[in-house]
Amino acid sequence: MRLNILIGGKAGQGINKVSGIVSKILINQGYFTFNYRDYPSIIRGGHNFNVLSISDKNISSHESKIDIMIALDELTKQIHKNEIKKNGVIIDYKDFLKFGLNLNIALSGALTKVLGIPLKILLSEVKRSLSSDNKQALIAATTGYNSQSNKYNFKKINNHLSLMSGSQAVAIGAINSKIDLYFAYPMTPATGVLHELAAKQLEHNFMTFQPEGEIAAVNMALGASFSGAKVMVGTSGGGFDLMSEGLSLQGISEIPLVVYLASRVGPGTGIPTYNMQGDLDIALRAGHGEFPRIVASPGDPLESIEITNELMYLSEKFKCLSILLSDKHVAESEFSTDKKPKRPLKINITRKLPGDSIIKSSSYEQDDYGLTTESAEFAIKNGDARIERYEQIRNGCKNFEMIKIHGKKDSKNLIIGWGSTKGAILDAIKGEDFKFLQAIYLKPMSDKIKNEIQKAKNVILVESNLTGQLGRLIREKTGISIKNRILKYDGRPFRSDELKKELLKI
Amino acid sequence: MTKNPEKPGVSLRTIKHSTWCPGCPDHMILEASRRAILSLIKQGYKKENFAMSAGVGCHGKIFDYLNISGIYGLHGRPIPTAIGIKLGNPNLNVIAFAGDGDTYSEGMAHFIHACRFNPDITLIVHDNQAFSLTTGQATPTSQVGYKTKAEPLGEFNQPLNPIHLALSAGASFVARCNARDETHTQKIIERAIKHKGFSFVEVIQDCVVFNLEVNDRDNKMYKLLDKHRDMKMALKFAQEFNYNKVSDKIPLGIFYQKHRNSLNEEWPILNKLVKQKKTWKDLKK
Repeated sequence: MRLNILIGGKAGQGINKVSGIVSKILINQGYFTFNYRDYPSIIRGGHNFNVLSISDKNISSHESKIDIMIALDELTKQIHKNEIKKNGVIIDYKDFLKFGLNLNIALSGALTKVLGIPLKILLSEVKRSLSSDNKQALIAATTGYNSQSNKYNFKKINNHLSLMSGSQAVAIGAINSKIDLYFAYPMTPATGVLHELAAKQLEHNFMTFQPEGEIAAVNMALGASFSGAKVMVGTSGGGFDLMSEGLSLQGISEIPLVVYLASRVGPGTGIPTYNMQGDLDIALRAGHGEFPRIVASPGDPLESIEITNELMYLSEKFKCLSILLSDKHVAESEFSTDKKPKRPLKINITRKLPGDSIIKSSSYEQDDYGLTTESAEFAIKNGDARIERYEQIRNGCKNFEMIKIHGKKDSKNLIIGWGSTKGAILDAIKGEDFKFLQAIYLKPMSDKIKNEIQKAKNVILVESNLTGQLGRLIREKTGISIKNRILKYDGRPFRSDELKKELLKI
Repeated sequence: MTKNPEKPGVSLRTIKHSTWCPGCPDHMILEASRRAILSLIKQGYKKENFAMSAGVGCHGKIFDYLNISGIYGLHGRPIPTAIGIKLGNPNLNVIAFAGDGDTYSEGMAHFIHACRFNPDITLIVHDNQAFSLTTGQATPTSQVGYKTKAEPLGEFNQPLNPIHLALSAGASFVARCNARDETHTQKIIERAIKHKGFSFVEVIQDCVVFNLEVNDRDNKMYKLLDKHRDMKMALKFAQEFNYNKVSDKIPLGIFYQKHRNSLNEEWPILNKLVKQKKTWKDLKK
C-alpha cells in the first residue's frame, strides 16, 4: 500500500511542521515515509509544498498522483487540483481558520484521523514537536482530528525505523569521523549541514566556523588541516567555484581536505532552491593543474553517513582532496530507513605536525627541504609522485563499495545512475525486469562498470541534468557511449511512477 | 619534506639563497622577523610553536628563508590560511606575511574581517606600494600619478590608508614600521606577537626597481610616543600620512592597542585547548 500526501501553503505557514509531525507518527507506527520539499527562494508568502509518501514497504521517492491534499491556502488547491486522484481527500484550511498560527497543527490532526491513527499518539507527538505545553495547539490538533473520519487504517506494524535528511546524515558522518572543524559560508542546499553541526558542536567537542566567504573557508580549512585538525568544508555550486584555487592548493600541498558539495540548479544563481546533478564535471575537474582526488556521491542519508566517513578516512590516508557530491534532493528530503550505518572507520593523523616539528607546506613546487624550486628535475620528480598517488588512491578506494547493484541481478536491462536519482529508480523498478547500477565512486571509477555495461542488452542512463555528465564520464573511461538517456533538468527530481513509464517505453 | 633546511650557524634561517633584488628592504624585514622570533624563543617561546603563512608576491619569498613551520599559500590568502592554522592548533604563534598587492587588493575582504574576528595572529604587510613581482603595476596603496605598464596614464585612484582602515574595522593592535629600521621593526613585531588578538604591522619599504618616486622617505618618518592612545587620537595620527607622495609626516610605532577577546577567548572549545595546552587530537570525542 502506498499513499502520497501533498501539503501546500505559503512560506511561513509551517507546512514542514505538518509533514514533520505526521512523518514521525508514521515512523513510530512502523511505516516507511519519504518527504519531498519543494519551495522557492522566498521566506514569507509564495507557494511551498511537500509530498509525503508513505508505505508499509521501503520507499525512497514520491509519486505524481496525490491521495490526500492538505491545503493551507487557496493557491495550493488551484495549482495541484489536477494531481489529485479520483476519490482523493482534500483537507481545506478554510475549516480551521479560527486556529490562526495553529492552522498547521489543526491540519496535522485532521490528517492523522484520516490515516486512522489514535488521537493519543497525535497529541504526544504534537507536545514533543512543540517542546512546550501549548494548550492552543493541543486544542487545534484535537479539533482537527475530530473533524474527519477514518479513511485508512495505519495500525502499528513491526518495523523499527528512523527518519533522516541527507544534511543530518552528513553531519552524523562528520561527527562519527570525529571532525574538529567545519568551515562553511551559507548557501542553499549545503547550509543544512552547517546548521546541524553548529547545533551539535559543544556536545561533541568540535567547532563550526562561518568566515567571510568560501575562499576564506577553503583556505582556513587547509590551514587547520595543516596544523592537525580533522576538517571539512561545505558549499554549493557558486561557492565551490570560488574554492577552486584552494582545491588546487590542496593538490600541490597535499594537505588533507574534504569538501561537501551540495548541488542545485545552475548555471549562475540558476534556480537556487531546486535540484540538479549539474556539478559532476566541476567536482571532477575544478582547480588548475593536474592532481589526484576522490569524488563520491551518496544516494540517500544512510550512504551519506558512510561516505562522509570514508572520504574523511581516505583524505587523511592519501593526503588528498575528497569531494562528497550530494544535491538538494538528497540533502533536504527526509528518508526513512530500517538499516543502520556501517561502523565508522577510525581516522588517525600520523603525519608530523607543526608544534612538534618544523613542517613547510607550499603552493609552489617544493624541493626535499620543503622550499620553493623551479627546477625541471623536481617538476618531474613531484609530477611522478603525483601520478603514483593516483594509483595508490585507485587501489585504496577498492576497499569500499564503489558501485552498488540493485534490482533483478540477472536482468539484461541495465539502468545506470548516481546520487539522488537512486530513490526514484529503486521505486520505479520494483517488480520489473531491470538491474540498476548505482555509481558511488565517480573518481576513481570502478572497472566493474564496463563489465556490467558489456553484459547488458539494453543500457539506460538516468540523470537529473541537461547533458548526461555520468554518461560522458563513462564514455571517457570505457569508450562506450550510452544511447538511451532519460535526463530531467526542470529542477524537480524524478517521481517514481513517471520514471517507471519512461523506463518501460525504452 | 624530509631534510632540515636550517642554515648551519644561523638560527631560523634556511640554506636557501635569497632571490630578492640586491638592496631590497625585504631582507631587513626577514632579519627583523628572525630576530624577533629568536628573542621570543629566549623568553621561553618554543621554536616549533611558531608557524607562518605567506601570500604570493615578493614578500612571500620570506617563507623560503625563515625556518619556521608554515604554508606558502595563495596570492591574497595569507590571512585566512593563518587563521586556519591557528584554529587547527590554537597553541601555535601564527604570523601571516603579506604584501600590499596581495592583501589590500586580492585579499582585502580577509583583512577587514580579520580585524573584526580578532584571531590571535600577527599580520605583517610588506608595503612597497607596487606589485613588484609582476613588474610594477599599481596597488591600492600606490600614490596618485604613479605610471606603470598597466596604468600608462598614471594611477588616478586615491590610495587607501591601511592604518586608518584597520582602526575603523576594529583591529586590536595597529602599528607601522620602516623596513630600514630593523631594530624598531623587530621590537614592534615582538610586541605584536605577544598581543593577544589580531595584531597588524604595516611595514613601509622601498622598492629598488619599481615605483622609485616614493622611496627615501626616512626624513619624513618619526616615532610615536610609546603610550596608551584612544581611538580618536589613533585615527588622527593615522591620517597624517595618506600614502601620496606629498604627505609630510609618516608616524611609526604602535598607533593603537587595546585588549578585546580574541577567537581563543570567545570560543569555549578553543579556550579549553589553550588553557590545557592541548591539540584537537588530545580531545576525547
